[in-house]
Amino acid sequence: MGIDASFVDGLRSALGQQHVITEPEQLRVYECDGLTGHRALPQLVALPGTTEEVQTVVRACYGARVPFVARGAGTGLSGGATPMAGGAVISLTRMNQILEIDLESGRIVVQPGVANLDVTRAVAADGYFYAPDPSSQQVCTIGGNVAENSGGAHCLKHGFTVHHVTGATLVLPEGDTVELGGKALDPDGMDLLGVVVGSEGTLGIVTEVTLRILRVPETVRTLLAGFETTDAAGAAVSGIVSTGILPSAIEMMDRLTIEAAERSTAPGYPAGAGAVLLVELDGVAAQVEEDAAEVERICLEFGAFELRVAADEVARALLWKGRKSAFAAMGRIATDYYVQDGVVPRTKLPEVLRRIEELSEEYGLRVGNVFHAGDGNLHPLVLYDSGQGETERARELAEAILEACLEAGGSLTGEHGVGMDKACSMPRMFSERDLAVFTRLRDAFDPEGLCNPGKVVPTPRLCGEVPGPYRAHALERIGVAERL
Amino acid sequence: MRSRGSALPSVSSLEEAAAVLQAANNEGRGLRIGRDVTTDGLDRVLEHEAGDLTCTVESGLRLSALNAALALEGQRLSLDPPGDPTIGALLSENVSGPLRHRFGAPRDLVLGVTLVLADGTIASAGGKVVKNVAGYDLSRLVCGSRGRLALIARASFRLHPLPQSQRTLVVATDDAAETVAVLFGSRLEPSALDVLHPGRVAVRFEGSETAVDAQVATAQALVAGNEGDEEIWAESRRRQQEARRTTRFAPGELRDILERLPEAVVRPSAGVAYTATGIQPTSSEPQSPPSAEALHRLEERILRAFDPKGTLRE
Repeated sequence: MGIDASFVDGLRSALGQQHVITEPEQLRVYECDGLTGHRALPQLVALPGTTEEVQTVVRACYGARVPFVARGAGTGLSGGATPMAGGAVISLTRMNQILEIDLESGRIVVQPGVANLDVTRAVAADGYFYAPDPSSQQVCTIGGNVAENSGGAHCLKHGFTVHHVTGATLVLPEGDTVELGGKALDPDGMDLLGVVVGSEGTLGIVTEVTLRILRVPETVRTLLAGFETTDAAGAAVSGIVSTGILPSAIEMMDRLTIEAAERSTAPGYPAGAGAVLLVELDGVAAQVEEDAAEVERICLEFGAFELRVAADEVARALLWKGRKSAFAAMGRIATDYYVQDGVVPRTKLPEVLRRIEELSEEYGLRVGNVFHAGDGNLHPLVLYDSGQGETERARELAEAILEACLEAGGSLTGEHGVGMDKACSMPRMFSERDLAVFTRLRDAFDPEGLCNPGKVVPTPRLCGEVPGPYRAHALERIGVAERL
Repeated sequence: MRSRGSALPSVSSLEEAAAVLQAANNEGRGLRIGRDVTTDGLDRVLEHEAGDLTCTVESGLRLSALNAALALEGQRLSLDPPGDPTIGALLSENVSGPLRHRFGAPRDLVLGVTLVLADGTIASAGGKVVKNVAGYDLSRLVCGSRGRLALIARASFRLHPLPQSQRTLVVATDDAAETVAVLFGSRLEPSALDVLHPGRVAVRFEGSETAVDAQVATAQALVAGNEGDEEIWAESRRRQQEARRTTRFAPGELRDILERLPEAVVRPSAGVAYTATGIQPTSSEPQSPPSAEALHRLEERILRAFDPKGTLRE
């Protein structure tokens, strides 16, 4: 049992000598993903090149009861790809081929190691694109996107990864392979594809994915508006949405993130703005033009003191530049930051932002807010200095912010996933019964508990017996008062 | 517990649903949701947050009743399946109509659910916000499960604004595949696009009045066609409901499918054809036998995990 010499030899003869890594210095590359605070050294990394080789590795792990985790580019922010000490990492980076482009069907079939942006690149010349666009899209892989149900700035109109995956080949944790869906939509029976997408690599390993590709819209219009306060910008967001306009993206940055962006990429945002709103509309020209005029009117009505409209692709890229580099820009104003991914109902944005401000003062740490305002997905950046011993306080502040999101009826995570980072916070959003049902599902896929253990669902070993205050799930809370 | 006419128990709270299921489970009695027990009494709109474009409702509510309530705030649940299913049936059948083209199936618009399992366990998954990746998405898993995983008691949905304007174009053609290809190749954004085979393609545009008019004009320049009305969508839904067979295909194979079927209602972007006749075209996406077996085993394992005694029947 476990990884011994014969285990390693078996995999080497199946995959090739160079595709099985066991040297400690090489293994170190795999000890964490984008959540660098959690690290563990795997005992082995396998780099299979085909579905059959993935099956071989998984069967070997299953046979020897070795826990394993699949890994793409390792850009995840919740520790979904953090290995288990002594376990195996199955890296899918060699499986980076685009297998089929079927424009007539509006589908593309890819291996999991293909980078997100490469999907769009493969079809752009034909006038198509792949809609989900996480910030890390240059490097993050489709396999990782499927695991995390990745979003991105433009999912407000176009939806998340789950809306764009129509089929997948899945290697189950015991090594069998199943085909879910295909190029057609809505196969008969329970929606397995819908639960596998976003399962954070705990229900199996996807080795082939069929994706929807969309026609590039006729027109794209990008507007940037400067406001005195986030309250005013938030009110404008509500104003836009309540008229029935559905922009492809509505992004907001607050004073601190604007400051950081100016110091780093100097996008030249309106001077003195307490908040900027970036609104993008796409679709048929007649609709986009009408909606853009309306968005401008609403922004001015809610107090925008400066409005810019991108006239061409270069101007558009400039408006986006500050937003896309916002996380990295924080390095200019703080030594460390901790990013959260809470969600609140859009109408609760102003109140939750005020609460975050209060918490920031209470804990004596700065918090920058950059977020997908259109769908209420906040990315508060808690700034701290680990050298000054502020790490623990930053974590506590981040927890308190999540608590505020849940209090408002929201979610722990909108797109980064639960992973290791938030597994112990799950009981704040879900009851013990809810979590027990999650475990039933997981056990049906993975009876031995070998497939990415310790993620998504909290375990007593990881979190202790009483992980935080309990509250009923948001859906169950609704209407309870009136029944009493 | 209410009984309506017949002896069918109709539950009207989560606790009642749990009690009915648990009793059957303990007695080893099979139960068919919607037949042996109904959720007619669970018919409230629990929350409609117009500003968030979301709602949370009980599963016995009819789609028409929900949409009537939502219309008061100028919104809708963008699903138009045949008939007037309850929210529970809508999800457990994952049934959609012509609006599938743009807005998706129930699995695409559901945000969260509260389930009652056969042993009486009440559990929730998902949430009521439009963006959320916390935990396993059981709200999608139950879509299409035909009542065998659990009783769906509550569900939250993403909503859309009612369009200001809508127009339908009907194209009479003996080459529907070509008409569809031209429309798909354009930059138009229809809300619905069905082939009423043989002979017609129906396209619906929604949005502001000027934008809809502009889209109709562009479409007519491309594929001609005449102004249509609700009647053609009613026909499409009626034929879908009466269909005895559903054929799935890669959307690019539309021409082959149309050649093989004497008649059908086809939703090309979804790759679905509904046919009244019992002709079985060769499936374009056959499963390899080992994969099909593994899939069957997996489904059985999930069913057993949710309902170990097999109480819930289709």
